[in-house]
Amino acid sequence: MTDLLTLPFLVTCAKFGLAFIPLMLLPFLIWGERKGASLIQDRIGPNRAAIPLMGGLRMFGFIHNMSDGIKLFFKESFVPAHAHKFWYFLAPMIPIIIAMLAPSVIPWFAPMTVQGPSGWVSISGQNLDADAGVLVLFALSGLSVYGVVLGSWASNSKYALLGGMRASAMMVSYEVSMGLSAAGIFLLAGSFGLTQIVEWQGSNPFLWGWALQPVGFVLFLVSLFAETGRPPFDVAEGESEIVAGYFVEYSAVRFALYYMGEYAHIVIASALVSTLFLGGYQVPFLPTETIRANLGVVGGGVLALLGLGVGAISLKIRRWARIYTTLKASDAADRAREYGFLATVSSVKAVVLLVSALAVGFLVRTTPAEVAGDLVHWPLWVNAATALVQLGVLLVKTAIICWVFIWVRWTLPRFRYDQIMSLGWKVMLNVALVNLLITALVAKLLVGGR
Amino acid sequence: MARVVPRPEMTLAEKAYIPEILRGMRVTWSHFLKGFNEPETLPVQSYPEVQWEIDRNYRAKHRLMKRPDGEPRCVACFMCSTACPARCIHIEATESDDPRIEKKPAKFDIDLLVCVFCGLCAEACPVDAIRMDTKVIALAADTRGKFVATKEQLLDWNPADYPASDTQSQKAPGGLLNAEARARWAQGDAT
Repeated sequence: MTDLLTLPFLVTCAKFGLAFIPLMLLPFLIWGERKGASLIQDRIGPNRAAIPLMGGLRMFGFIHNMSDGIKLFFKESFVPAHAHKFWYFLAPMIPIIIAMLAPSVIPWFAPMTVQGPSGWVSISGQNLDADAGVLVLFALSGLSVYGVVLGSWASNSKYALLGGMRASAMMVSYEVSMGLSAAGIFLLAGSFGLTQIVEWQGSNPFLWGWALQPVGFVLFLVSLFAETGRPPFDVAEGESEIVAGYFVEYSAVRFALYYMGEYAHIVIASALVSTLFLGGYQVPFLPTETIRANLGVVGGGVLALLGLGVGAISLKIRRWARIYTTLKASDAADRAREYGFLATVSSVKAVVLLVSALAVGFLVRTTPAEVAGDLVHWPLWVNAATALVQLGVLLVKTAIICWVFIWVRWTLPRFRYDQIMSLGWKVMLNVALVNLLITALVAKLLVGGR
Repeated sequence: MARVVPRPEMTLAEKAYIPEILRGMRVTWSHFLKGFNEPETLPVQSYPEVQWEIDRNYRAKHRLMKRPDGEPRCVACFMCSTACPARCIHIEATESDDPRIEKKPAKFDIDLLVCVFCGLCAEACPVDAIRMDTKVIALAADTRGKFVATKEQLLDWNPADYPASDTQSQKAPGGLLNAEARARWAQGDAT
């Protein structure tokens, strides 16, 4: 038993927390979608739901997520009499199971070595360090079609079935070009393992996947829009034709599962794009070993950046507070108080971050725990701090791609169904194939191939 | 004869979608920045706290006009309920106490859930007893019964809420012209 409780084992167990990253990002994503949509459409957006403290803490509409969650979980879970009960209950679990499983192959930080009882053990930044790597992710992503088809079929409703048909036909079509457009990267990296792909990209942003495979990058991104059922490829839903599409018969917590699955799919897709084409966990211009050797400077820099960001947010909130008091609104006093409070909190945070940045930058120095030839082993806390920095960088990349998803949604009208099919099969598939061919030729001729 | 409108031929950049999509994203991004940096310029208002001024001509919830002594002007002639296309006005007549007037309503109910707010009742009234100028447009209640406006509710309005130029409203109790109008009403001048 004591053999089990070794350091590598505990670190491996702690890594399971990474499975919850997409779910933890959900509230931010939904909030970003609502607020982004409203600002793009020249509206203020959600700002009503409040925590009843100090005249109502509204947190710029973030509380709406909580009220949504409470509503969906306590609502009557209505089951239509004509539904096939067993499959009807089973179907909404599929997307959420996929949302929990899919992040297991994404490397959230660089592989580290940890001192075990019988020597140093290498631990990678993903839960499932399989050679198949990204193929597992593609397979899970393909499984999400089952949630759609099963849900629509079990609902036993024409609208749901039509929506399921449309969604599944589109997802299956675009999976082809998704795989083919990423194939160039696998070819160049010489591996399906995502850690290997990220390591191959290195820390120079101009040698990442997007620079070496620009066509593949765009194709992959577009295929992911279709794969996640986001506009302009949102034929799964259509208020004017088939109501809400495949989950029209679902309500309350089962609807919430579908909804969460959909948004988790976006987070996972964004993390996948960041991993394949945007250098994954790589910090621009800072290789992993450099971070570990200069952890004080890097950590101080990261904390200083965070502090400056939070300080900018604080100034922004103060400006919003000034604007709000000039607006004609009877609750201006409450809002001014809340904005003042939030601005003070962020100012304090900014000061704390900047002070700790100075402290970390000047005080923290790292020395390797053991140098064995080429391999340099670092103490666990150095590895953990480096992993934290890299995780943060990957999350920033993921958030940017998530914002692109939202941004495109509120920019583009949707394609007609036949346009989607012709774009997928006649254009994107061919471009992806030609891209793969050219990549293969160039790789063979210039690099000599692997 | 049918006129054929030729569709403009798409250029190569338009056919490739991506440049046009980026152009569209630039537009939405400029809107996003505008709302983010200058929320005061957005054409919205904080609804329940701030509301648009509703025009007096807007056909809103009904009210029953009053004579200077506070009695309803309604003479229970049933013209409004006859004109009503939705048949939402229910009147029961009774004998008036005033010898100058034949009838008055004992009951005057308007089912606001059935009402289509067409304004024909106000048009039909021969004595200007029913009007739809209350500006009350947000009707909310938790039972259907509460949506039935009774005579007492329809008579419950304040002359101060109506402009001074609205002489008919100002003659009601509490109005600017009430004392004068009541003196003339007692002498038998039924205006």
